[in-house]
Amino acid sequence: MISHLDAEFALLASGLRSPLEIEEPTWDRVLRMARASGLHARLACANEDNPNVPECVQRHLLSARRIAAYRAQMVRAELFHLAPFCTPDLPVVVLKGGAYLLQQRRMARGRFAADVDLLVPADQLQTMEARLRAAGWGGAKLSPYDERYYRDWSHETPPMRFPGRNLEVDLHHALTPVTGDLAFDSSTLFERSEPIRGTPFRALCPEDQLLHACLHCFHDGDLALRVREVVDIDGLIREFTRDDRFWDKVVARAHELKLTRPLWYGLHFAGAWLDCPVPESVMNSLPAPSAPARKLMDALLPLAMLPLHLDGPPPPSVRLARKTLLARYHLMRMPMHLLIPHLARKAMLRLRGSREEKKGAPDNGAP
Amino acid sequence: MSSPATACRVLDVGAARLAVISPIASFHAQLDAVYPYMDVIADEGFADVRVSLLPETRVLPGRRQARLWSEGDCPFEPYPLNAALPLFEWGSNWLLSQRLNAYLLLHAGVLARDGQALILPAAPGSGKTTLSCALHLAGWRFLSDEFGVVDIERREVLPMVRPAPLKNASIEVMRARAGARLGPLFPGTRKGDVAHFIPNRQSFQARHERATPRLVVFPRFTPGAALSCVSLNPMQAVLGLGQNSFNYQALGTAGFETAIALARTTRAYRLTYGDLDEAIAQIEHLFVSTA
Repeated sequence: MISHLDAEFALLASGLRSPLEIEEPTWDRVLRMARASGLHARLACANEDNPNVPECVQRHLLSARRIAAYRAQMVRAELFHLAPFCTPDLPVVVLKGGAYLLQQRRMARGRFAADVDLLVPADQLQTMEARLRAAGWGGAKLSPYDERYYRDWSHETPPMRFPGRNLEVDLHHALTPVTGDLAFDSSTLFERSEPIRGTPFRALCPEDQLLHACLHCFHDGDLALRVREVVDIDGLIREFTRDDRFWDKVVARAHELKLTRPLWYGLHFAGAWLDCPVPESVMNSLPAPSAPARKLMDALLPLAMLPLHLDGPPPPSVRLARKTLLARYHLMRMPMHLLIPHLARKAMLRLRGSREEKKGAPDNGAP
Repeated sequence: MSSPATACRVLDVGAARLAVISPIASFHAQLDAVYPYMDVIADEGFADVRVSLLPETRVLPGRRQARLWSEGDCPFEPYPLNAALPLFEWGSNWLLSQRLNAYLLLHAGVLARDGQALILPAAPGSGKTTLSCALHLAGWRFLSDEFGVVDIERREVLPMVRPAPLKNASIEVMRARAGARLGPLFPGTRKGDVAHFIPNRQSFQARHERATPRLVVFPRFTPGAALSCVSLNPMQAVLGLGQNSFNYQALGTAGFETAIALARTTRAYRLTYGDLDEAIAQIEHLFVSTA
């Protein structure tokens, strides 16, 4: 059973890079897996000129490419509106998808861009936030508790939005929660950042960009269907390793920031799932997790991240894997004396909220 | 994983092929009632939408519920177990509206006569479904009450022949009309009472026959209103088409150019009415005079 599913995923993985030669029923499965994990526009881009795609499938690939292009355009437009707030005294680093787009990375093709994430120096966060607010961006009204959660324990401001647009802008002052095990000083991120040509923005240097992708992928929430972030990691590696010295640089940087563990996981799973060319010497130069930890992650991650169950709710094994990984995330994010009251409060709010939510008829056509 | 009770059912509705798995017996009976002309189709190829309608496993006091699952996700709130059909119809339509961006998707009723299409784009609550059904009973071929599926290259409309969900007062309005065939009544869903109007066999069998757009009418039912019909210039028509589209914005230039081409090759009107038969007569007149 498992190996059969793995074989189907392997087909999707190869279809993200090169044209597939498969029959219509197999396309059906592969496209659904891609859709379930938000990879369908990548699949569509890799198969754009593939003459072997049945017409009924081609329509969906075209549809996915159009939506990805539209969302990329919305992100570019939002960044265009944000550009005037970057001044020489206030460096603004575009993180993740926004940066991949502006840098015109190959791996940005078919990537569904969601929100705009910006990194500014911690002592200038308030200045940047004030500039955005003065220009019309605003956040949803938060409870004092949520407000404090963001301000004191998180590494970003509450999401902001310009009225009438549906992209969120998140202002970060660090790449990890300030209360977490992996917290590190952000100042060197700016020192090593690079200007993005043709824009007033900056991007993380390649090593930091990869480390951030790994950090985000394995240390953020319940990891459900996060395989698309492993695909990002794979795509970045394939681009960056055109520089011969990249591996030495990223390993040294991971040691410096104490991010060797996220990097190890990123390389391990990109290699295992996507055939990412990671030299053994690189793996050996990073401290591996203990054998039991590794065994556990090798068992849990495919269950949590891969889109293998399409015909109904996720089976108990998948739900358990996601819960376990969520617990791991919470433990790394906050010390116990903060975490327990925080989760208790969230659970209470959810209980209360579930009785009140969604009474009116939806107006977007949803049932 | 699938047992004989949950064999997959495939529906070919014209512009899309739907596949559904469900162990809920009443749901299959409801499907049979509202798709009376559908042949049994073997599930051996591609489907545009694949969903599972499953009874909620959680045992809670009160009524049992059905959930719609699509690619391992449950995007909607559940419906009562005995009202799985409206959940399937609306849920699969919503999924189609997200995926059929190969076409310009208008939120519109579509009817045709001699291969020439009448497009009725309108916001929810304008009476679009009721008017589409009434025109169908008056002799027009039924293509859709919900989706104007426009082929961007060939500028033709593709049928999406599905039962039309009549809501609240329109149920009795249509039931009173000669020849109307309605499915089971679902009282008190989140969108009110619902019963599905079933398009006739001819329209169903013609579900792969495209039509060429000829007339665009933006309908608005207002109780008690006198008939008012205003001619729109192509610019107004483009705006109206864009506003009543699922994906006009997302399609970028392709959507813009298609809307312009539609506006240039058709005549467009805004029609406000309080009497269904007057509206039908007016539309007949407009269609003939647009030749």
